[in-house]
Amino acid sequence: MDFFTARNLTMRFGGLVAVNDFDITLKREEIVGLIGPNGAGKTTVFNMIAGYYVPTSGTIHFQGRLLNGRKANEITKSGVARTFQNIRLFTELTVVENVMIAYHCRIRSTFFGAVFRLPLYRREENKMYEGAMAFLREVGLESLAREQAGSLPYGKQRRLEIARALATGPELLLLDEPAAGMNPNETQDLLQLILALRDKYKLTVFLIEHDMKFVMKLCERIKVLDYGTTIAEGTPEEIQQNARVIEAYLGEE
Amino acid sequence: MDEHRRRNQIFSIIAVACLFLFLWSMQVFADSYQIRILNNIGLFIILAVSYNLINGVTGQFSLEPNAFVAIGAYTSALLTLTPIEKEMAFIIEPIIWPLSVIHIPFVFSLLAAGVVTAFFGFLMGFPVFRVRGDYLAIVTLGFGEVVRVIANNTQTITNGPLGLKGLAGHTNIWWTWGLAAFTVFFISRMVRSSFGMAMKAVKYDETAAEAIGINAFGHKMLAFTTSAFFEGIGGGLLAHLITTISPTLFTFFLTFNLLIMIVVGGLGSITGSVIAAVVITWGGEALRFVEEPIHLGFATIPGIPGMRMVLFSLILVLVMIFARKGLMGAREFTWNGLFRKIREWKGRYVKES
Repeated sequence: MDFFTARNLTMRFGGLVAVNDFDITLKREEIVGLIGPNGAGKTTVFNMIAGYYVPTSGTIHFQGRLLNGRKANEITKSGVARTFQNIRLFTELTVVENVMIAYHCRIRSTFFGAVFRLPLYRREENKMYEGAMAFLREVGLESLAREQAGSLPYGKQRRLEIARALATGPELLLLDEPAAGMNPNETQDLLQLILALRDKYKLTVFLIEHDMKFVMKLCERIKVLDYGTTIAEGTPEEIQQNARVIEAYLGEE
Repeated sequence: MDEHRRRNQIFSIIAVACLFLFLWSMQVFADSYQIRILNNIGLFIILAVSYNLINGVTGQFSLEPNAFVAIGAYTSALLTLTPIEKEMAFIIEPIIWPLSVIHIPFVFSLLAAGVVTAFFGFLMGFPVFRVRGDYLAIVTLGFGEVVRVIANNTQTITNGPLGLKGLAGHTNIWWTWGLAAFTVFFISRMVRSSFGMAMKAVKYDETAAEAIGINAFGHKMLAFTTSAFFEGIGGGLLAHLITTISPTLFTFFLTFNLLIMIVVGGLGSITGSVIAAVVITWGGEALRFVEEPIHLGFATIPGIPGMRMVLFSLILVLVMIFARKGLMGAREFTWNGLFRKIREWKGRYVKES
C-alpha cells in the first residue's frame, strides 16, 4: 500500500482546466517539490488534496483511505496538514494561542467537560500548552509566545504557521511557498528546519516553491506543472537538464 | 501564570458576596419600580451575553434572538399555566390536547424553555449556516419574523394575537440575577476553553480554522445552540416577569436593543456585554424624562414619545465613530488586569508627586 497516491486528478472551473490528469505517489519521509510558472495549477493541486476543492475527476488515497469528497477539517484530522501561500494566521491571537488551537481537533474532552474544567480537560489543556510551547521551541519562537501573532515579522509568521500545522499531528505536510518573501539567510534556516522536522516527526513533505536553489537543495524529487499538465518529473539534476522545463520557464529559443 | 490564583479566587468570592448583599438590600429596601429595573438588568445580561456568543465570539452576524426569546417565553408560559387558566384564556379556539393538561413547576418550565429553544436553534442552524456574512443576517432576520408570524397565527397553541395573560409572577431578582451569574460563568468558561478558542478561530479565518482540523460548521452550531438555550431561558424569565405575552412583544425591536448592547459593549467581550446591558437598561429608565414635557421658563417642549430611541441611536452612531470596537473591544475583565492597572496608576501618581 502506498503512503499517498493521487491518480488522474483533474480540476475544471467552467471551461478552464486548471489541473489536468495529475498523478503523484509519495513515499514515507520523502521531500517532494512541485514547481511551475505562475498559474500552472500548483496551489489548485494542494487545494484538492487538502479538501478545499472537490476534484472534477480522479482519486486521492492517503494511507489506504479515499480522501476526495471529504471535508478539509476531516482531512486534517486524518493526518494531512497544510500552510498557505498568503500566510493565514489568527493575527489577533497570541503566538502560543495560534498553536494551541491546532490541538483542539485532537482533544477527547466533551464540551461540558471543557466548560466545567473536569480533570480530563485540565490534563489536556496542560498538554496543549506544553505541546504548543515545544513546537514553538522547535521553530525558534518560544521567546515570542505571548506576542500577538500579527505583530511578528514575515519570516517568523511563516515559521509560526509551520508550527501550527505540526500541532495538528500530521504525517503529510503540504507547504505552499514556505520561502516566499524570505531573505537568503532565512531561507537557509528554513531549509535546515524542514529537514530537522522531517527527521524528528517522520514527516512526508510535499511543497510548492519558486526559489529554485531552495527546491533543488531540499527536494529528493520534483514535479513540474505547466498549464495544469505535468511536463516533467525526476531528481533535481534531471529537472535542471530537462528541455521542456527550461522552455516553460524561459520560453522557446 | 497562576501565581495569583488564590488571590483571584478570594476576590471573586468577595465580589459575588457583595453582589448578593446588594441584591438582598435592594430586595428589602427598594420599591417595586427599582426592583423591576433590577430584574430587567439581570434579564438583559442573560440575553446580551448569550447573543454575543454567536455574534461576537464566533463572529456570525445573526439577527434572530427575538425568535429564540419568543420560543422560550411561550414554552415556559404554556407549561406553568394551569389547565383551568388555559381553558379560560383560549376563548376563540381551545388549546390542543397535550398542552391543555400539562402543568409543571416554574423551574422545570425554564429548563424546558431552554431545551426547546436550543432544539429549534439546532434545527435552524442547518439551513442558516449554509450562508455567511450579510446573507446570514438576512436569513436569521427572516426566521425572527417567521416565528412571530407563526405565534400570531397558531390560535390553538399560542392563543394568537390575544397572547397569554395572567401568568404567575414567578420571576424575582434571585431568578434573574442567579441565572445571569450562571450564564456569565458558563459562557465565559466556554469562551476560555479550547472550544471557545476554536470559535474565535472560525471568526478570524474560517479557511485557516478548517486547515487545523476545526469543524467550522460544527462550532457555529455549538455556539448557536448554546446561545439559543440561554435566550430561551431568558424568554421564560421574561414571560413570568411581565406576566403577559403576545406576539407584538417579540418584534425585531428586541433584537435591535440587544444588538446595541453587544456592539456598544464590544463584540466578543462578555464583560462589555454585561456593562452595556446594565448601563443601557438602567439608562433607558433614567432617560425617561426626555420624553416628558420640558419647561425652559420661556418655552415648553412637548413630550415626544420615542425620544429615548433617538438618543440610543445617537449613542450607537457615536460609538461607531469614536470607539469602533465598543467599550471593551474583545478584552475581558480579569483580576490580574485590574491589579496591573492599579499598579500602573500608582506608579504614575507616585512619580508625579
